[in-house]
Amino acid sequence: MAIELNVATPPVPADLIEDYRHGQHDSEEHYKFKSDKGLTREIVERISEMKGEPDWMRAFRLKAFEIFRSKPMPTWGDTALLEEIDFDNIHYFVRSTEGAERSWDDVPDDIKRTFDRLGIPEAERKFLSGVSAQYESEVVYHSVVEALEKDGVLFCDMDTALKQYPEILKKYFATIIPPGDNKFAALNSAVWSGGSFVYVPKGVTVAMPLQAYFRINTENMGQFERTLIIADEGAKVHYIEGCTAPKFSTSSLHSAVVEIIAMEGASVRYTTIQNWYRNIFNLVTKRAVAYKNATVEWVDGNIGSRLTMKYPAIYLMGEGARGEVLSAAFAGEGQHQDAGAKVIHAAPNTTSVVTNKSVSAHGGKTTYRGLVEIFPGAVGAKTRVKCDALIMDERSSSDTKPTMKVNEQRSTVEHEASVSKIGEEQLFYAMSRGLSEADATAMIVNGFFDFFVKELPMEYAVELNRLIKMEMEGSVG
Amino acid sequence: MRLGPHEARPMSTTTPVAKISRIPNGTTQRVTVGGHDVLLCNVDGRVYAVEDVCTHDGGALDAGELEGCRIMCPRHGAYFDVTTGRALTLPAILPLPTYTVRLDGDDIYVEA
Repeated sequence: MAIELNVATPPVPADLIEDYRHGQHDSEEHYKFKSDKGLTREIVERISEMKGEPDWMRAFRLKAFEIFRSKPMPTWGDTALLEEIDFDNIHYFVRSTEGAERSWDDVPDDIKRTFDRLGIPEAERKFLSGVSAQYESEVVYHSVVEALEKDGVLFCDMDTALKQYPEILKKYFATIIPPGDNKFAALNSAVWSGGSFVYVPKGVTVAMPLQAYFRINTENMGQFERTLIIADEGAKVHYIEGCTAPKFSTSSLHSAVVEIIAMEGASVRYTTIQNWYRNIFNLVTKRAVAYKNATVEWVDGNIGSRLTMKYPAIYLMGEGARGEVLSAAFAGEGQHQDAGAKVIHAAPNTTSVVTNKSVSAHGGKTTYRGLVEIFPGAVGAKTRVKCDALIMDERSSSDTKPTMKVNEQRSTVEHEASVSKIGEEQLFYAMSRGLSEADATAMIVNGFFDFFVKELPMEYAVELNRLIKMEMEGSVG
Repeated sequence: MRLGPHEARPMSTTTPVAKISRIPNGTTQRVTVGGHDVLLCNVDGRVYAVEDVCTHDGGALDAGELEGCRIMCPRHGAYFDVTTGRALTLPAILPLPTYTVRLDGDDIYVEA
């Protein structure tokens, strides 16, 4: 049974728990610019001007700003929580240093200390081929290994990409998620800053995962990073993004946009663990297209935040394309994890698998919200959706809202869902082996997430197990 | 039932559906032709006709802004090229049906 895997989980260091509880907070002396609270046309223009952007991007931002203003808030989902967002009480742009810095030695000490706690240098030593670390709204540290450049792989922050590869950006930027897609995509489009740009040329396989580390550090500051990943024909790449955030006293907003394009025969895996503090609204739009015989995989872990609304999508546009969404969510006290997946089968013989596992504890709430659509003519399309929810106590809850639109008879659609409570027999058995009640509970929850953890690189797996253990403390009794 | 020779041909409006003088460059006008909602778009003085129904979720496009030859669906932001009907961005995948436009002076006729 999967439980055995987690018996060896290292104990959570006391200082890590303290940091998490009280929040890691650095001084704000290093901010070069911080916009006024609230969003106006002038602020959008200022952002574009400070970044020295071309006219087309400035026009794009301003158009997106108008769309943002005209679009109503979503009328579905946790509307009561969404109403808590005060758009006029948010800084939309904070610049911490002047641009990206190549060498680790050049990064300011207090920023470096933060990164040290997050394990960035260690991660780089271990297996990274490239690191793109984001502090506040902009990339401050970025390194690309020579081998990547030799292969023609482009990996940089989006601001740099706009300057260095304008033609690629003009062609693909916002074609997967246009500003009008939803209110928060419009907001991101208006004020985006940072994020990663990846382009892998035809036939190139990037052997090591590309990583970026994101962090929010300013009270009430929103982060609006924008990521674009393009894998050309036959290319392969694995991109990893992780997030942690310190404690804030008032709500903060994170609204990212991630676009992935997998050309014919290409393969892209996007792994993320999001660990926002519990006052953060995490409203993210992630969407990928997979052309003929291409594969896109989202591996998505959500822990923390006040409200997460995230539904990684895959549009299977070419024959034989394959998509997989593997997600795990944990909702604690006062939290709502509204997560799921969307898969659109728009071509014959396309296949998809959606696996979602969620745990709610201490009065937390999880929602699986998913869509599978089979287009007319998508003969031979196959999809399997499986969502399991584990509810830890009487105060917690879980909803499952799957939608299936099947417009092609000659397709196969499977859906399976389960909701369960933690079993007293399981607990009793684990405790009879000498574990405390809390350790036994954490172990069972870790086992529940085992399928997901197995897909993560080792350090992320360890981090996730630690976070789950921290979240589960005091959950029993 | 066999169709007569008249019915086999594309149905063309015998009366004009709109006047080009009422659709300035860069604007659109919604008309109904043969039971279809059709959007007339003036792109640099030339009129194009597409179905006024977004292929993503069925919303009307006439409230969307025409930018050159691109029109944005106001509901979810999908862009279409009105000269070809092609979907330029997600979330739309399928193209818009297009219609042949015939001009006679100021009058616009549409084949539906």
